[in-house]
Amino acid sequence: MSGRAAVVHDLALEAYGFGGDHPFNPLRIRMTLELCEALGLLEDHTFVVSERATVEDLTTVHSLTYVRLVQKAGGGVGDPWDLAHYGLGTGDNPIFPAMHEACARVVGEVLEACRMVMRGDVTHAMCVSGGLHHAMRSRASGFCVYNDAGVAIARLKEEHPGIRVAYVDTDAHHGDGVQWIFYDDPDVLTVSMHESGRYLFPGTGGVEERGRDGGTGYSVNVPLEPFTDDESFISCFEAVVPEVLRSFEPDLILSQNGCDAHALDPLSHLSATTRLYEHIPHRVHHLAHELCEGRWVATGGGGYDIWRVVPRAWTALWAALSHQVLPEKVPEDWLALRSAQSPVELPRFMRDDPAVYLPTEHAAQIASRNCRTTEQVLEKVLPLIR
Amino acid sequence: MLLIKDSMTREVVVLSPQATAGEALALCREKRIRHLPVVEDDRLVGIVSDRDLRSATPALGDPDRAEALGRILVPEVMARDVSTALPDDPVEVAANVMREKKIGCLPVVEDDRLVGIITSSDVMGALVQLMGAHEPGSRLVVSMPDRPGTLAGAAGIFGELGINLVSTVSGPRQEPPPGEQGPWRAAIFRIDTINPTEAIEILERAGYAVLWPPGP
Repeated sequence: MSGRAAVVHDLALEAYGFGGDHPFNPLRIRMTLELCEALGLLEDHTFVVSERATVEDLTTVHSLTYVRLVQKAGGGVGDPWDLAHYGLGTGDNPIFPAMHEACARVVGEVLEACRMVMRGDVTHAMCVSGGLHHAMRSRASGFCVYNDAGVAIARLKEEHPGIRVAYVDTDAHHGDGVQWIFYDDPDVLTVSMHESGRYLFPGTGGVEERGRDGGTGYSVNVPLEPFTDDESFISCFEAVVPEVLRSFEPDLILSQNGCDAHALDPLSHLSATTRLYEHIPHRVHHLAHELCEGRWVATGGGGYDIWRVVPRAWTALWAALSHQVLPEKVPEDWLALRSAQSPVELPRFMRDDPAVYLPTEHAAQIASRNCRTTEQVLEKVLPLIR
Repeated sequence: MLLIKDSMTREVVVLSPQATAGEALALCREKRIRHLPVVEDDRLVGIVSDRDLRSATPALGDPDRAEALGRILVPEVMARDVSTALPDDPVEVAANVMREKKIGCLPVVEDDRLVGIITSSDVMGALVQLMGAHEPGSRLVVSMPDRPGTLAGAAGIFGELGINLVSTVSGPRQEPPPGEQGPWRAAIFRIDTINPTEAIEILERAGYAVLWPPGP
């Protein structure tokens, strides 16, 4: 496998955060890139910077009323009850100064990453600030204000008529915002693997959600049982993702790489380790070369153990995307830089020790339920994809 | 809210007593429904299901089938003693009647006129609405002593944190957790947040038992 890779990032992107001890902390982006740097994985790579998304870009998927409201809210204007109706100013999505500019910046970077890949400037591009998959047409939700993947895909569809985009989301939470935006669109395949919505936010993402009208079959959901481990997650991923992508034959793969399925993550109840976060990008990378000449854009997403999990998981993503070997050890430089500040002991190795993450007593039962779920997907959804 | 008239289907597909079994079955197939009320002069006189029709007519492939389908009239097959519902009844009344009588639908009648029909899948739709399962949210199951103010106390904790309640349902009395006295009651909160961790910590400190999600 070959092809040039780019990181799309700008320090200005780190303005997307809600401040204080809110779990969506831009420090996780900073620490990821520091770790990549300390491991020498960024040599010969410069950060690509882009413009903010315009209001015209944003209104490809968001309502103008909502965009105007976000603009005003970031300037400190707006009636709190009115804002709350649009999901703004809540515990999850507090208002912060210049929030429109910060959020539009994230969208602009993901859009630029997609355009670079479509132009052939690079084969693969990563933008870890992106992945805000819960944002709805007229509503902020689950830490997400604007839907970067939604806008990027909508713009690509205008710029490349007939383009087919496969969106692959392995965040622990269902990729509802992106799914609903393209629910009736047969040119955008959304695949989401997540902890079952029976209890977990946002509550959707059952197998029976499979698209509407002409888009029936083009929304694929694999809800996993709480406490699913690497073994079962990977076997479900292998059973579903390659098959549905091959049936669909995309021109571009856009992956959302939320890493909150990790056992240490405080917001989900899955039991994955770094093994999953090495496996997924390698597999997606292979599929991109097999199916669409390598065209692959990767974003970040959820991930709330910002000390022990996120930097290592997304460094593994970058290593896979840029054809580099993931080193074994977390470098001393990085540990020295961040240890004093971290409330938890930082890991010394890039990969989790399997002896620490032993299978739970219900692992077999969980795996067999997940296996049944994937069978349903293969039986009821896969045949609808053409 | 949650009345039969909010959940029922108003455009009811009906039969006249002159209809044949063949016409009735064709209508079931075409409209993809299983129950057809029979109406004469706007009055409900009976109800017939696709199962009643099938068991009253010769099986598929039987040479007598075509003739029988054209000969048998709906009143020969239909049930005349029909359980009905009122549009202003709560939806759980319909659910209970359907469950006890083991039937799948109830015609809705007002002043002797048929105004709608409610089926078990309409009742399930109402359950989805009630639980707020169509809006983004996290599901918390919280157990608390069964006495005045405990539910309000839990709801107040979400309010303090700026978390909106998508839905709240409280269940029947149950045994207290080990070491506690008196009856307890569990409630299900769907809350509009991706991050229930802080709410869970505060609830547990205040003496509530959070049954789901599990602690870290």
